[in-house]
Amino acid sequence: MIELQDALRKKEIWAIGGGKGGIGKSLITGNIGITLARLKKKVLLVDADLGGANLHTTLGIGVPEMTLSDFLNRRVENIKDIVIQTSIPNLGLISGAQDFLDAANPNFAQKTRLLRHLETLDADYILLDLGAGTSFNILDFFLFSDHGILVVLPEPTAIENAYRFIKSAFYRRFKKVVANQNIKDLIDAAMDQKNVMGIRTPYDLIEQVKKMEQEVGEILELEVMKFKPKLIVNQVRTKNDIQIGFSMKSACQKYFGINLEYLGYVEYDDCVWQSIRGKRPLTVEYPYSRPSRCIERIVHNVLRKEQLALNSL
Amino acid sequence: MIMVKKIEDLNYYELLEVSPTATSQEVHKAYERIRRIYEPNSIALYSLFTPEETAAINQRIEEAYRTLTYESQRKRYDDMLRGIQQESEEGLPMPSTPRHRAVTTPSDFIDRLDGRTRKTEEAPTKPSGETAEPVLQASLQPPPPFNAEFTGPAMRLLREQRGLSVRSIAEMTKVGTRYLELIEEEIYDKLPVRPYLRGFLMAYARALGYEPDRVVGDYLKRYDAAMESMKKK
Repeated sequence: MIELQDALRKKEIWAIGGGKGGIGKSLITGNIGITLARLKKKVLLVDADLGGANLHTTLGIGVPEMTLSDFLNRRVENIKDIVIQTSIPNLGLISGAQDFLDAANPNFAQKTRLLRHLETLDADYILLDLGAGTSFNILDFFLFSDHGILVVLPEPTAIENAYRFIKSAFYRRFKKVVANQNIKDLIDAAMDQKNVMGIRTPYDLIEQVKKMEQEVGEILELEVMKFKPKLIVNQVRTKNDIQIGFSMKSACQKYFGINLEYLGYVEYDDCVWQSIRGKRPLTVEYPYSRPSRCIERIVHNVLRKEQLALNSL
Repeated sequence: MIMVKKIEDLNYYELLEVSPTATSQEVHKAYERIRRIYEPNSIALYSLFTPEETAAINQRIEEAYRTLTYESQRKRYDDMLRGIQQESEEGLPMPSTPRHRAVTTPSDFIDRLDGRTRKTEEAPTKPSGETAEPVLQASLQPPPPFNAEFTGPAMRLLREQRGLSVRSIAEMTKVGTRYLELIEEEIYDKLPVRPYLRGFLMAYARALGYEPDRVVGDYLKRYDAAMESMKKK
């Protein structure tokens, strides 16, 4: 009976990705989790960065015994058995695999099983740390979540990766909602910037699709409208760095037609790397530091929108 | 039911990200803000827009600002927008006769407007270091009358007759020298897509001092014909 209640409890799934490695996804995911837990929410952190799992380190937890790969390989049947209760009340952790990179690619069946089991867990919020890159698994988790959050640094490489991620994500979404194989092939071809059809922007692609099937093109337009990724800029040092979030929001709107939400930024501070070195969670060790405050603000921004939506019902 | 719009089809309010009922102060603020976002070396645009595209956007931003800050121009623009909305709702066909063709997009309107009101108020740009060609001088002198068709080679001839290098046109128009050369040589398949080409042609026309409408009309007629026959092959 308790399990049924757990399953019925409304869970929000947040996925944190970024395309590029080393930009602070795990740090931000872990500390958002802590912040939410402190607000008396039940939070489950999931390190889905198989092969690059760092989430436990940012929380100050040692190398765990049972991890996600044990679940995926069915060494463990019930996902509850791999949840680690952290020392922070209301905060649980499912740690990523300790396997090497090669072993890190769950197939479709494993992925489905994971998502199905996650839904049965007792939590208000499930935070997925996705890891770097744009593999199908990462994109699918991102698309599946209620809030897909991208992290960037104020650097061209990270920004480039973020745009690449966005493009990959909704092209993947496009392919999922389209049945027609010819159109699927067209979408694949469009992913190549130098494609012979001269398709540069999603608008170009949708135009082409409409020529083939008007209705399918309109469905894709709807998907563009529905796709609402969110952005956090990490390691901010100047006002210009902060501005990057706003600029990317505008650029996304004009180029992709996508509404990128700027959740906020995290200021650079020495206490961040100090906390990592010390293997202590940032918001626990330095709760009044600027980065910690930034993370709190970000969490409140997301929650307030949630409240705004409820109030408008 | 178009929800996703091409950048070139965004109206001036959408481009500046400002409400159609914004005050002129709000318009000014929006302009400052959007100009900063789309400035040429902005890293937030890295990998998304090419330098040419960024230049084209900036040009439109300037157009938008100019139109929306002058009350009479803004009013005319608003009327035109309303007209377009009505037309698309009623499903009226858009006629396209060359000279007096109906306005089909906001930039068409502004081109016509500019043709009439722009005259010689070309914004002064820094003169290039190499040639001693002051930009203002080129556009202040009335160009020699030209009654033939504005083909690529014709434009090149007109340019050379006025002693202008491709370089100077590039500095005046912010269009890359490569594209200008491709335009003159009519190497259509290497040019960017039609809307950008249009923008470049307009700028080139103004730099030479000829009515943009005419130049663009002539050139694109040949372009369209060529592209059509290329498709058939």
